[in-house]
This record gives sequence, C-alpha cells and structure tokens, in this order.
Amino acid sequence: MPDDPIYRLPLDPQEEVSSGEGGSFEQLRHLILAPEQQDLARLRERVEDPGLRTGDISAVLPEAIELRREVGGEEALGKALLPTVESALRESVRKNPTTLADALFPVMGPAIRRSILQTLRSFFDSFNEAMDHSFSLRGLQWRVESLRTGRPFSEIVLLHSLVFRVEQVFLIHKKTGLPLAHAVAPAVAMQDASLVSGMLSAIQDFVRDSFHSAQGQILEKINVGEMEVWVEDGPYAILACVIRGIPPPDYRQRMAEALEHIHRNFAEAMERFEGETGPFAGANDELSQCLEFRYKEKAGEKPKPYLVAVVIAVGLALAGWMGYRGWQNYKWAEFIETLRAQPGLVVTDFERIRGHYVIRGLRDPLAADPTELLKAAGLPLDAAEQRWGGYYALDDAIVQKRATALLRPPAGVKLTVADGVLRPEGEASATWAAALRSKALLLPGIRALDTSQLTDTDAAEFVRLQKVVEGAIIKFAVGSSVLNVTEAVKLEQLAPQIKLLLEKGRLLGENATLDVVGHSDSSGVETTNGPLSRSRAERVAAQLLRDDVVKSELQSRGVAASEPLRKEENEEGRQYNRSVTFRVRVAQSAAGAPSGTRPASPLDTPAAGNR
Amino acid sequence: MLLKKVCMIGSFAVGKTSLVRKSVQGIFSETYKTTVGVKVDNKVVRVGEKEVTLVLWDLYGEDKFQTLLRAHLSGTFGYLLVADGTRLATLHEAEALEAKMRQEIGNKPFLFLLNKCDLRLEWEIDDAQQADLAARGWEILHTSAKTGEGVEAAFQRLAEQMLV
Repeated sequence: MPDDPIYRLPLDPQEEVSSGEGGSFEQLRHLILAPEQQDLARLRERVEDPGLRTGDISAVLPEAIELRREVGGEEALGKALLPTVESALRESVRKNPTTLADALFPVMGPAIRRSILQTLRSFFDSFNEAMDHSFSLRGLQWRVESLRTGRPFSEIVLLHSLVFRVEQVFLIHKKTGLPLAHAVAPAVAMQDASLVSGMLSAIQDFVRDSFHSAQGQILEKINVGEMEVWVEDGPYAILACVIRGIPPPDYRQRMAEALEHIHRNFAEAMERFEGETGPFAGANDELSQCLEFRYKEKAGEKPKPYLVAVVIAVGLALAGWMGYRGWQNYKWAEFIETLRAQPGLVVTDFERIRGHYVIRGLRDPLAADPTELLKAAGLPLDAAEQRWGGYYALDDAIVQKRATALLRPPAGVKLTVADGVLRPEGEASATWAAALRSKALLLPGIRALDTSQLTDTDAAEFVRLQKVVEGAIIKFAVGSSVLNVTEAVKLEQLAPQIKLLLEKGRLLGENATLDVVGHSDSSGVETTNGPLSRSRAERVAAQLLRDDVVKSELQSRGVAASEPLRKEENEEGRQYNRSVTFRVRVAQSAAGAPSGTRPASPLDTPAAGNR
Repeated sequence: MLLKKVCMIGSFAVGKTSLVRKSVQGIFSETYKTTVGVKVDNKVVRVGEKEVTLVLWDLYGEDKFQTLLRAHLSGTFGYLLVADGTRLATLHEAEALEAKMRQEIGNKPFLFLLNKCDLRLEWEIDDAQQADLAARGWEILHTSAKTGEGVEAAFQRLAEQMLV
C-alpha cells in the first residue's frame, strides 16, 4: 500500500534519531502519532487475520444471538439457521443414528406411550360397551332401531348408553374470536374451528349487547337439543366445550382449571396474538384432557371384566372349533386321497352338504370296502353318505383278484397279473390247467396268459407211477406159474398204482396200455420155457383183470429167456429171471390233447389258440 | 396456521354477502346474519410462501352498526369496505363507516370495493370522486359479485396488505 501515509512513517525511534536534520520534527511526529499508529496497526491485523477475527466473534456469538432474540428478530435468525441445522441433523443421523435417537428418547417415549394408551383406552371402552349391548334384549331392540332408522348401531348404542361426552373443545381468542387451539373426540365429525369460534364469539357479543349485560359477563351455557355448549371465560381467551348429554356439575371446575393453566402458560402469547396459532400447539394437550366422557353403569355393577372372559372364551372356542374343522377337513381330504389310490375305486364327486359328506363314484365289486377304509381312517361312519355305481376295473390288482376268484387256483398255485398278462406260478393238475386255458382270456382285463411257471402235477405223477410199475418184479418158483403168497400180496399192492397210472394216462390224453411180460430162466429148453413164461404173464394179467384193475388196455406175452432181467451167474440171478414185469406203452391220442410230459407252451394267447 | 379476522362492512344491499358467496367456505346459512347480525366464512389465500386463512365477518347492514359494531369489530386485522357503484349514497355512508372504523379499531388495512361493476353504465360514482378518495390514501377496487370480477383480487390484495 504505497499511498498509505501511515506506512511511510518510520516506526522505530532509533532510526529517526539518526536520520539528520528533520529529525526533531520526525521525532515530534512520532511522539504524537506513534501510539495511534500502533493501535491502528493492531486493529488492522485483527480485521485482516481470519484466525483472530473468528476468535473475536466466537467470544460474542452467544450474546449476539440472545440479543437478536430479545429484539424480536428470532424468526429471521431461525430462518437463516434452518438449512444449517437441518443439514447438521441429517449428517448426525447419517453418521450415527443412535446419538439423536438417544437424545430424543426421553421425549418420544412418553409421547408414544400416551398416544397408544389413549387409543387403547377409547378402543376398549367402546368395545366393552358394544359387547355389553350385543347380547342383551335391550341390545336387540337397539339393533332393530338401528335397522329402522338407518343409523349405525354404534351410534344408537352411544346415544342410549352415554351419560355425557365432550366432543369438541375450542380455545378461542377473546379479542379476535379466532381459534387458538381445538381438540376433537375420536369419531366425531370435525367442524371448521375458525367458523365455529367466530360464530360463538359473535353470539356472545350479540347476547351481551342485546341484554346490556355488564362487561365481562358471558353466556355460560347454550342448549341445542342433546347438545350443550359450555363456555368458560378467561382474561384473554374463552374455553368452549361442545358436550353431548349432561355433564356433571364439577366439569365446570375442570374447565376453569384448564383455562387457568392455559393462561398461566400462554398469557403473553395470547396478548400479542396476531393470527399465528403455532405457539399454542402446546395447549392441545390441556384441551384433549377436557375431552371427558362417561357411560351409564348398570345398577350395582362395575365395569365388566367377565365380558373380557366371555370374549376370550368365545375366541378360544372359535379357534378350537376352527382347528377341529381344519383337522377334520384334513382327515377327510386324506381319506378321499386314500380312496382315489385304491384300485377299483373311482371317486367322481366329494362334497359337504350341511355338515354331511357325500361321496359319489364307481366301485368294482372286488375293490376294498370304503366303509372299512373309513373305519381305518378313524372317521365317523355316519358322517358320510356313499353312492357307488358298479363297474369292472382293469387295474392289475383287481384283475388279479377277479382271476383268483373265478379260476380258483389250487393251493400250490399263485396267480399274478402284470400289465394285463396272467401268470400262474406253481404246480397244478392238468384238469385245472385245461380249465385255466379255456377261461382265462374270457376275463375282463386279461389280454394274455403266461404258463411258463406252471408245472403240470398229473404228468409228473404219470412218470413217477410208470417208474414204479415198470420197476416191479413178480417172481415165480422154478417151473411154476403159480403165485405164491408173498408175490400175490406184492401184486395186490401194485394193482392200485397200475390203476392210477392208466387213469393219469387217460387224463393226460395219452393212450397208455400195459404190457404184462412173462420171463423164464435159461435152465430149461425153449419149448417149455416159452409156454411157461406166457403162462406166468397170463396168470398175472388174469389176476389184474379179475381185480378190475385194468380193462382192455392190457396185453400179455411170454418172452422166455430172451429178455433176461439179470445175468444168471448164480441162483439169485436166475430167480429174477423167473418172473413177470410190466411195460407201459404210450401212444399219442387221436384228440391231440397236450401231453403231460411235454413242456407247456410258454405263452398262450387267443391268437395262439388254447381252446 | 395463520388466521386473520377480516370484516366486511358497507351499507344495506351493496352486495357484501354476494361478494363472498361464490368464493368462500362456510357452514352457516344466511339467516344467521339477520338473527345474530353476523355470518362467519373462511377464505384461504396464499401470499408468497404463506397460507393465510381469512376469517370473514360479514356484518349485517348499517342500521345495526350502532349497536353491534363495537363488539364485532374487536380484533379485526383489516376490512373490506363495500359500496354500490350505482348508488352515490352508499359512497357517503362508506366514508362515514371508514371514519367510524378508524375511531373504533385505529388505522387498519382496508380496501374500498366499488361493487356492481357489471352495471357500469348505471354508476353514479364517477372517476373524479374516486380520484378524490385515492388522494386520501384509499385503495379502490372494482368488483362484480355477478361476474366474479375483482373478487379474488380483493381478498388477495387485503391479505397482502395485512402481512406487510
């Protein structure tokens, strides 16, 4: 700053003394001006150094704000600070929400509790009241009245059971007639507070002027049908309560206290009132507490805790019943599924008619008995009506049952059906096997027959008997054709087996015949041995014919020693050769019935032909 | 909430009630005015950022003025002074009313509404008379309850004046 005169002055006194001629003037000037110059320099530094300036302002900032508030510039200050405060709050919440939450907790907690309590209280009161009147004769009458008049039941209950209820409270500024605060009971239609306040004030003015009442006297009570308006007068404001019914006289006292309390807190604000109602938000609490109400109590009865018990009991019963119904429905649904899964049962319809179940469908006569299934499911038998139509099921399980019932397999045979193929397994007689072949494919649901696992017992028996008979040897004494006692008994025992063998042969369609062969040993001559052996065979054949063991299917012949049974190395061998033996001859019958000894055709189908 | 009590005053049949009928919210019937001497209506007006509810006290005719005025005027923030453009007498009455108002409630913002501007050809109040009023600081607005002309502007203007 070259043109600043102050800076052109040397400030160091030593410097000036040594500066020569004009020294005394400079010295004088220095003596006079130096203190101011130093002050100025210090002040300039203060102003220009941001650090110092901040320190200065911080020292007076609280007082400055206080002063600003006192002179009434609070609003402007608030406005100026608002964005800063808002962003500071936002930042605080962003950084750590707990800090602010903790700070607000003491305020928020009681406010929330109070709000909840109030809501609950009014809910329980009206609920109890409604419950109380829902079950009584009087309640019924009121229901009729509600239907007749078209007004809601709750309103009818309210009108009949209410002693009084303060529905609205207005705090009205006396000078302007404007509402400072207004509280409304729940479920009451809210009116425009400014209009009602204005008119109330106007009416007060009107009455006061019309009857020339003394200043300060007011209209304390206005009656309008079931409603009353009670007015309490204060220095700056009046309290007007709109009341349904008749409040107790001490309610007036309650109003006076509330108004006094409001005046204590808001007198100054009311005096300075210029139309802004914001400062009176705090009075709303006081007004809300004036919203009193009382219901009629029955003679000698306290509020009824039993109603709560009734409600709980009814609730529990209802829940129990619903649970039982749910369980029942589940059981029935499960049962219907069981029915549907049963072969031979088709459920076409299932419905519930007035607590009664009706099941409709089709049932194969061989299917499981639904009533038994019902029993097994633990469901009441009389709860369901069953309407079943008959039909032939084609499920393998049912077809198997049907085949078993109609074909009646012998004990050793098991019938299975898979995919429409009937497969008998085990041992059965040829008779049964023949019947099976002729009937099986006539049964509904069977499209093929597989007998590969079926063994024919008759054929096996035939083979066994053949072995027995062909192994038998009837022995004779040397040169004799007479049966001794032992051999006669042997023949007698063999006879039934021969008989059975021939019967089996007939059964199997075999044309079985019996050769009775007579033998002799080689000791004699051919001419005697031939007749002897023949005679022996005839002797046995005669015995068999006589005992009716065989009929015509018998041939006897003598072979002498030409077909010896043993080598005649000793007497025992010769003994065997003096005998009669049997041969079974089998010839295919003309009818062409399958032989018991040949394996059964693995699969008989209608095309393969088994008839 | 910002509330302002506003009075509507003027001679009998100048159209005060008709002026507010179309644009205000009210719950009371016209009979209140003849029984109680006043009818209260609301008119919400926005001035800048602020919403102001004007609580309009529509006072019964001038003949009741003497007995009712004092009480009903208490706490008034501003008023609409209404005259009938077709009747010169109502202008003189308005002047008297204005003087009375000043005496009762002091210098409060007011607007002078010359109503029935839809019947301009029949007016008895000329420009010279209006210029004379304006010279005295009266703010004059021409309104018509019939067409609605100037009515909204009147409420708006009065609200602005009261918020200054």
